[in-house]
Amino acid sequence: MTVSPAHAHEHPDFLRHHFNTPKQQFEAGKLGMWLFLATEVLLFGGLFVGYSVWRGNHPEMFKAGSIFLNTNLGAVNTAVLILSSITMAAAVTMAQRNKRGALMLFLSLTLAGAVTFLVIKYFEYTHKFHLGIYPGLKFYEKPAGDSHTLSGSLVNDAGGVDLVLVKGTGPLGQDVTVADTPEAEPTTVAPAAIGPAGLAQDALEPGDRPADDGHAEHLTHPLQDPHRPANVHMFFNIYYLMTGLHGVHVAAGIGVLTWLLIGAAKGRFSSAYFTPVDLGGLYWHVVDLIWIFLFPLFYLI
Amino acid sequence: MIAHATLLALLGTPSPAKIPGSYFGMPEQASTIAGDVDWMYDFITWLCIFFFVVIVGAMVYFVFKYRRRAHVADTGGPTHNTPLEVTWTVIPLILVIAIFYIGLKGYVHITTPPANSYEIEVIGQRWFWTFRYPNGAAETNILHVPVGRPVKLTMESDDVIHAMFIPAFRVKQDVVPGRRTELWFEATREGEFDLFCAEYCGTQHSQMIGKVIVYDEDEFEVVIEELARWIDKVPDEKLHLAGALMYNQCSSCHTLDGSDLIGPSFKETHELFKAAGTRQLIDGTTVAVDDDYLQQSILKPLDQIAKGYPSSMPPGIGTQLGDRKLQALVQFIIRLDEVAPDGNLIEVNRQDIVVEEVEAEEAE
Amino acid sequence: MTTIDVTKPMPPEAGRPAEGTNYLNHTTGIKSWLLTMDHKRIGVMYLVSILTSFFLAGIFGLLIRTELIAPGHTIMDADAYNMMFTLHGAIMVFLVIIPSVPASLGNFVLPIMLGAKDVAFPRLNLFSYYLWVTGAIFAVAAIIFGGVDTGWTLYVPYSTTGTEMNGIIFLSMAVFVLGFSSIFTGLNFIVTIHRLRPPGMTWFKMPLFLWAIYATGIIQVMATPVIGITVLLLIVERAFGIGIFDASLGGDPILFQHFFWFYSHPAVYIMILPGMGIISELISVHSHKHIFGYRFIAFSSVAIALFGFIVWGHHMFVSSQSPLMNVLFSAITFSVSIPSAVKIFNWLATLYKGSISLNTPMLYALSFIFLFTIGGLTGLHLGTLATDIHLHDTYFVVAHFHYVMMGGAIIALIGGIHHWWPKITGRMYSEFWGRIACGLVFVGFNVTFFIQFVMGSKGMPRRYWDYTDKYMIYHVISTVGSYIMALGFFITAAYLIHSLFRGRKAPANPWGGRSLEWQCSSPPPAENFPEPPHVGDCYDFSVLEWDEEEQGYHWRHDIPHPVGEA
Repeated sequence: MTVSPAHAHEHPDFLRHHFNTPKQQFEAGKLGMWLFLATEVLLFGGLFVGYSVWRGNHPEMFKAGSIFLNTNLGAVNTAVLILSSITMAAAVTMAQRNKRGALMLFLSLTLAGAVTFLVIKYFEYTHKFHLGIYPGLKFYEKPAGDSHTLSGSLVNDAGGVDLVLVKGTGPLGQDVTVADTPEAEPTTVAPAAIGPAGLAQDALEPGDRPADDGHAEHLTHPLQDPHRPANVHMFFNIYYLMTGLHGVHVAAGIGVLTWLLIGAAKGRFSSAYFTPVDLGGLYWHVVDLIWIFLFPLFYLI
Repeated sequence: MIAHATLLALLGTPSPAKIPGSYFGMPEQASTIAGDVDWMYDFITWLCIFFFVVIVGAMVYFVFKYRRRAHVADTGGPTHNTPLEVTWTVIPLILVIAIFYIGLKGYVHITTPPANSYEIEVIGQRWFWTFRYPNGAAETNILHVPVGRPVKLTMESDDVIHAMFIPAFRVKQDVVPGRRTELWFEATREGEFDLFCAEYCGTQHSQMIGKVIVYDEDEFEVVIEELARWIDKVPDEKLHLAGALMYNQCSSCHTLDGSDLIGPSFKETHELFKAAGTRQLIDGTTVAVDDDYLQQSILKPLDQIAKGYPSSMPPGIGTQLGDRKLQALVQFIIRLDEVAPDGNLIEVNRQDIVVEEVEAEEAE
Repeated sequence: MTTIDVTKPMPPEAGRPAEGTNYLNHTTGIKSWLLTMDHKRIGVMYLVSILTSFFLAGIFGLLIRTELIAPGHTIMDADAYNMMFTLHGAIMVFLVIIPSVPASLGNFVLPIMLGAKDVAFPRLNLFSYYLWVTGAIFAVAAIIFGGVDTGWTLYVPYSTTGTEMNGIIFLSMAVFVLGFSSIFTGLNFIVTIHRLRPPGMTWFKMPLFLWAIYATGIIQVMATPVIGITVLLLIVERAFGIGIFDASLGGDPILFQHFFWFYSHPAVYIMILPGMGIISELISVHSHKHIFGYRFIAFSSVAIALFGFIVWGHHMFVSSQSPLMNVLFSAITFSVSIPSAVKIFNWLATLYKGSISLNTPMLYALSFIFLFTIGGLTGLHLGTLATDIHLHDTYFVVAHFHYVMMGGAIIALIGGIHHWWPKITGRMYSEFWGRIACGLVFVGFNVTFFIQFVMGSKGMPRRYWDYTDKYMIYHVISTVGSYIMALGFFITAAYLIHSLFRGRKAPANPWGGRSLEWQCSSPPPAENFPEPPHVGDCYDFSVLEWDEEEQGYHWRHDIPHPVGEA
């Protein structure tokens, strides 16, 4: 807004007033984007560390929970994202080569990949909700297809009490079901040894649990498994949290790609100025990369 | 005194027995580790004083000596001196390594309970401590320990994080829900010492305090024996007085004078009982305030939450009591007008209500 | 819009206050401020907002001290007291100290010191400011809708299931949003320093303040995302009870503490490093002597930033983290004290053979050395395992971090405000009242907090609304001290505001500084430098001389003033 007329003639339109050269502006933008992506990686890094800690404390709940994820859908989504990364890279190259039509084509393909990913994710989520596998304590309310009542305390095979549900009012004034362990002896609530919660109570000996005899395959809800370890709901909480945050980033990516597509249609990008396409591409690659880690962590191992 | 500490610092042989106490405001020493900790504290403090005097002394001297006498734009003078700068990097480094080492030595001792420790279970709840002894005795907010014998506390929390802190013993340990944490000490002196909750735990955090009482070994045995059995020796007609002795467990949430704290005042409950009245519950129903209600609301407090009050009473309280103590509390509320006629508890001594014959009769 | 003639800065040799336009008056109207992308105006808006928050949280602090003047109920009940110390801590940390120096003074002087026209991303800079405002609104919402009494540390499970006050969700959102404000500020500054240095401005020609801001930026970018995800998890846990931090549901409350301190310990260096940067400038300029050991000071800032990431566990020595972790964290903690000590010694050596003007900014700088030395040295007690077990969560810790946070960061901020006040506002304040107020703050501060070391050693736990009688005398002294300190701050506010209207017009270079901002007029023009300015050794003051008539320094007449690139 304070660009003086004298400066305007030496500056291309896209060059903002406080930069001296387009190269300086491009490099500033690129460094800024890399730093921003570093913060994104650290944001997810907290969750990845949490994943390691929770998994380290409760390997059995990850084992019992992960069989309810659909590996095929996850694999398709992984392929979709990898393909969209390739088309994004192609889009950047097309911008650098001044090929506006090809740029728009590849941006559209990338966008299509992003949308496909979210659609598949939507079906995965809604299928689980349909089965009663909800995030939070709703998980314990009404597993579909389960005939016996699950109110009251849930005693699992390991002898521990999962939790006891108490109806009450939530912090936002909503009706919630909160967990409490009023009847439980301290020994079932707290582990017997110093260490993270549940280490002693939940660690099942290999013989305690029917090995992968396939009987878990036809279950539609973890609570139907009488041999389930305590706190199996935690697996799904972590799953929803990490894939949910990733999904938010994919949705943001759709916004960015749409904006780029509009810019490309208006002819804003050229071999002299392709910074937004390049930076948008960097962001998209990082979003893909995070999924490349999420997929094996939840679906495969 | 200063020379003494300096000498000890130079020799590097902390010898708590010979040290009278901290020079710098640490509280009285009453455990085996207190002397060591204070020695370290004093050593570091002397080091700090030395550096503080050097730094601030130099600063004040320079400010005086080189104060501005005219508007000089630049005075020249040295701009760097690498050997000097390396020196004042390396010397503090060596010093902090030394401090780390002595701190480490003391710490290893502090975290390793001796094998023959006397074990006491501790439960932290908002806002009181419960101590349970191997013989079944339990006491609230007062920790009885023997002198000259290592004591190990095994601690659990029923709600949020608390921290056991006994300044005179120089020990502190967080009490974390879902974990059992340990803390040990060996008292060196008989007497009464403060016991605090040091991790913020809510409204009455500053009331979550108690006493440690240190006895000689024989007296300690008598005390906890008495603690385990006294309630059985109270005759039925005096149970309400026994309840009065236990009221300190309830006092952070329930008053005797009708004013509100976290939970309903016992006075209100007592009056409802007398009038055979009913109480409104949070779910809209009402319940008759009778003998059964009093028992149930202690045993299963979350089932019947009185309207207008939070559901924050830990269910563990009632179940830990045992039948006799539960009856004592119920009788205490029923006969509140006798034990707290004007909202203030009358003075009750355990010796006065315990009848030794009760036990004798049963024995026959 | 302005014409090029008036955006040109006054040539330094002219030395007179700029007549005509500057960044303050080149455009007018409320919109020209609220939508500005000028780093100077954004810096001023930050300064005003942050000082308002400081006032509010300071009032909370005074209320806390007043409540504690006697045991039991004095002016408020326990719940109100718990809310008071929570808000005092949360506002001071997240709304005041973390953004204070970088976002206000850093925003104002960084591009000018560098010789740039603005920061790399002016729009992002404005966005950061509005994120700060949003965070502040959330913090206020936390007070209004439900209150919050968790302490600024937000420890679970108290914050998730322990408290009845529902403001915790708003406060967590405030922390999340403020975190991103801080990230974008740090990101902006790092890119600016990397990419917008004019020709001739090499890394080792940068003023030390910029090294400090750069090191701070690294921490802001690398640590803050972790608190972001932590409070996000806290919100989810509190709102839906999913149990990730709840031991009875399979979570881990200690994990929260690791996450929290992974950010909040480096955040201590976000708070103190820019303060140290200011002190390096103040000590050198007001001693009229080249800074001593430039490279050691510069590298020590970076060393503090890097070491700061791996010491967080020293907040958790009694948390039930494993003894081995405690030992490792204790060892690394000591290593972080070395670069701080190096700075102190270098500042002392700068004083040596200087010509020390005891101006108000210099008095604050000397206070900083005094107070930070105490704050730093008492850190040794807390880093040592055996003594920390006794001192943890007592008033000793409260005293220690106030000596570092307030005696360090806030005193440096106030010193920096006085140093750059003529540059920012174009007005001089009353030196007489400035010195009086500085003295009151210094004395009041020490009376308030030194006694807390003693109190803490004697076992007084922190966050206690009530206490036993034996601690009363210390509390009384501490409270009296806080009133003295408050008086000092009110005087400061009064003469600074007075100077805006009645102050003498400031010369371009009242103190004799050599860094580039002193070559602009006071206040600087809208675009700082029309051409990249000449860059010299910013601590070589020998090119300046005093001008009695304008009461400031200017370029020596016998040396030709270099123009443009060196």
